[in-house]
Amino acid sequence: MISVLLGLRLGRWGVFGFSLAALMSVFAQTAGFYQIAGHTLVQRLQFGASMAALEAQFVALFAPTIRPDTVEGFVEFRGFNSLTILFAVWALASATGFARGDETRGIVEMELATGTPRPVLLAARSAAFAIAVSVASIAAAAGFVIGVATNHDTVEARGLIEMTLLIAAVGMACYGLTLLVAQVVGARIATASAGALLLVLYLLNSLSRSFSWLSTWRWLSPFRYYDLSQPLPRGGYFDGRAFAILIVFGVLATALAAVAFMRRDVGGSILRLPSISRRAAHDASAMPWWMVPVVRGLYERRLGLLAWAAGTAVLAAVFAALTRNIVQALLSVPTLLPYLSIFVHQQLYPAVLGYTWSNVAQLLFAALAITYVASWSAEDSDGRLEAVLANPTSRAAVVLERMIVLTVAAAIIAAASGVVLAYASHAQGIDLVPQRVAAASLMLVPFALVFAGAGAVLAAWNPRAAVALLGALAFASYLDTELGTIYKLPLWLQDLSAFKLFGTPLVNGVDGRNLALMLLLAIAGLGSSILLMQRRDVGT
Amino acid sequence: MLVEMAVAAIRTSKLTKDYGSGRGLFDLDLQVGQQEVFGYLGPNGAGKTTTIRLLMDMLRPTGGSAYIFGLDCTRESVAVKKRVGYLPGDVPQFGSLRGTEIVAYFGGMRGRVDKRSVKAIAQRFDLDLSRRFREYSSGNKQKLAILLAFAHRPDLLILDEPTSGLDPLNQQEFYSLLREARDAGATVFLSSHVLSEVEHVCDRVGILRSGRLVKVAQLEELRHIRVHRVEIEFASEDVVPEVKLRSAPGVEEVTVAGARVECTVRGTFDGLVEAIADSSVTDLVSTEPSLEEFFLSFFGEPKPKALTP
Repeated sequence: MISVLLGLRLGRWGVFGFSLAALMSVFAQTAGFYQIAGHTLVQRLQFGASMAALEAQFVALFAPTIRPDTVEGFVEFRGFNSLTILFAVWALASATGFARGDETRGIVEMELATGTPRPVLLAARSAAFAIAVSVASIAAAAGFVIGVATNHDTVEARGLIEMTLLIAAVGMACYGLTLLVAQVVGARIATASAGALLLVLYLLNSLSRSFSWLSTWRWLSPFRYYDLSQPLPRGGYFDGRAFAILIVFGVLATALAAVAFMRRDVGGSILRLPSISRRAAHDASAMPWWMVPVVRGLYERRLGLLAWAAGTAVLAAVFAALTRNIVQALLSVPTLLPYLSIFVHQQLYPAVLGYTWSNVAQLLFAALAITYVASWSAEDSDGRLEAVLANPTSRAAVVLERMIVLTVAAAIIAAASGVVLAYASHAQGIDLVPQRVAAASLMLVPFALVFAGAGAVLAAWNPRAAVALLGALAFASYLDTELGTIYKLPLWLQDLSAFKLFGTPLVNGVDGRNLALMLLLAIAGLGSSILLMQRRDVGT
Repeated sequence: MLVEMAVAAIRTSKLTKDYGSGRGLFDLDLQVGQQEVFGYLGPNGAGKTTTIRLLMDMLRPTGGSAYIFGLDCTRESVAVKKRVGYLPGDVPQFGSLRGTEIVAYFGGMRGRVDKRSVKAIAQRFDLDLSRRFREYSSGNKQKLAILLAFAHRPDLLILDEPTSGLDPLNQQEFYSLLREARDAGATVFLSSHVLSEVEHVCDRVGILRSGRLVKVAQLEELRHIRVHRVEIEFASEDVVPEVKLRSAPGVEEVTVAGARVECTVRGTFDGLVEAIADSSVTDLVSTEPSLEEFFLSFFGEPKPKALTP
């Protein structure tokens, strides 16, 4: 029980932040539905048709819902489906935080020293996350109830309860899988390996909707068992068997993780690469890049950079390959033809590819900026910033070097994905304008810098809270662009969202004003972070 | 050169860092001369690390000023750090970087790596730089931190509890490294809460309590002040020189129980050695007093409330 409480205590900000995010996002989507869907039956049907078009474009990410013209169908698609990704990310952070982070900090060793058996400790932390994810799922349900009630509508309790159970079960399954991976591989690559596995399992299920050959393997993905139910819309369904499999998935993965935890050394891993015998060295590395600012930072992050570039490029190729399927799905719906005629003038294929890929790329580059800010915060807490500042370098130079490293890294990743996108789309017979591909790819750099600038400010102000706050900011920024027009937010407020400022450069080219605003926001962030860094204490 | 000689290596004036609730460092006036080895002594939480972090420009002072070689520690911190080697109290974490890479990384930040110096120190401490940081034991991590502080042969070494984590053999190696640095012209500012360590290497000692500097003493003065608890086991009850012991200079609180004697020795051991010289001693244990006991004997009052910066 003490271990469960300790797990909740250590993750209290996660519980608070993700519950708040779940509540706010579901509430915003629910309330937003009543603003945009109209009130008459005809208006709702028209709205449903436009939503079906949108769903078709995002079929590679989310399963289409059965009733997009109803608040339940709309919120299931826009709100709860996104929460499965959010909870998967949370599970990843929480499980690796326990299995590796707490182990590195000695917390696990201390707990085991009290006589707590390893499986009990692991079960306790899993129980703590189960409580946490349940709280966040209930918060999401509460957001839906509040949104519906404030618009004088009613909620079908059974469907909502089933939906709540489903998203919590997805979170638990992802937690169990991450725990298992974290036992198998070393601390250094645990988060990346578990993240890659969850991404592959997610894409295995979502891409199987477009590529039938993948459907043979989608039973391996926990997200598949989420997809098999659509409990929220009226007339929806809840597949009890699929839900049970999802639960078994989580329990089994956790049990296997417990077995693996019992078999490995604390601080070690099940899989160990054979150690290469090295000759003892008493010299500094002679590699010249350690002498060059920025280059040394890039070299240190070379493996991560390579993984990001390769992953983003693969996704770009996947989305280029998906475009024809998406467009064909769109064209097969007669009611969508008038809606699509808007796009046809602008070349349908590039328009759809531009829209879908841009959305995914923006999310990836926001995540990239967050991971860099996380490493800046870690440098603060693990004493590395103090060690750096003990050298003849100014605080401003440290902040500046960090930003330049991120800029170059983002440019490399953007270039890799841009080249692959152009090549893959050409192979699919979709001819994009090369200049626009280049411009759209390069626009991802200032986009990432907006978040990096905000992150630098947060890391200078409060490094411990920086990642959570930046994540919340990115989420709010995403909601801003999603809901800004629905709620008629002031233009200046909408313009603070990098997601909105990014625009659709692959389709319409780069908007100079938006680019200037993004650069301005990034520079403002950089300048403010330098000022804050000058004033603060380091190492307290 | 004459001007340079006249400038103190470290000078603080009313240096203050107030964390609130009486915690922090207050009105520190301190001067450390060039080529001096200065020990900074105080119990945990007295403000030693706060002082060091203020000198290193990690913390912003609430008031007062600090200068290193005449350079303002806050406004001219980059110039200051060119001349300083710093060993933090907590060894920074470098994850999966190898020792060779860490040394090159920080060498790069200073513009160049003094290869000869790096090699000499690494060999001296038998530190294998080919290994990843996360594979190092805590002692090896401390050795790496020592190497990073000494490698560029700085004019001033600021060392925060430098021997923590080192085994006795490596502690001795560290002390000799320190003496060599001083002989080569370096100034050393070393914090510690171990009396014997300070005695071992320092010329002068500053004693800090509750965030205030209460005493700056020459080493001789410290030796004179300090006390040891001594337990002596004589060959038999008959040979215990009780009278001699009770009248020996510096020997106090003598308790005799059969052939076993317990006493306190203040200052040097000369009086005690003379008193037992003619007796057959089978065992003799001298225990260094804790800092708490030292404060009790020095100030006549218990250790102050611990402060955590």
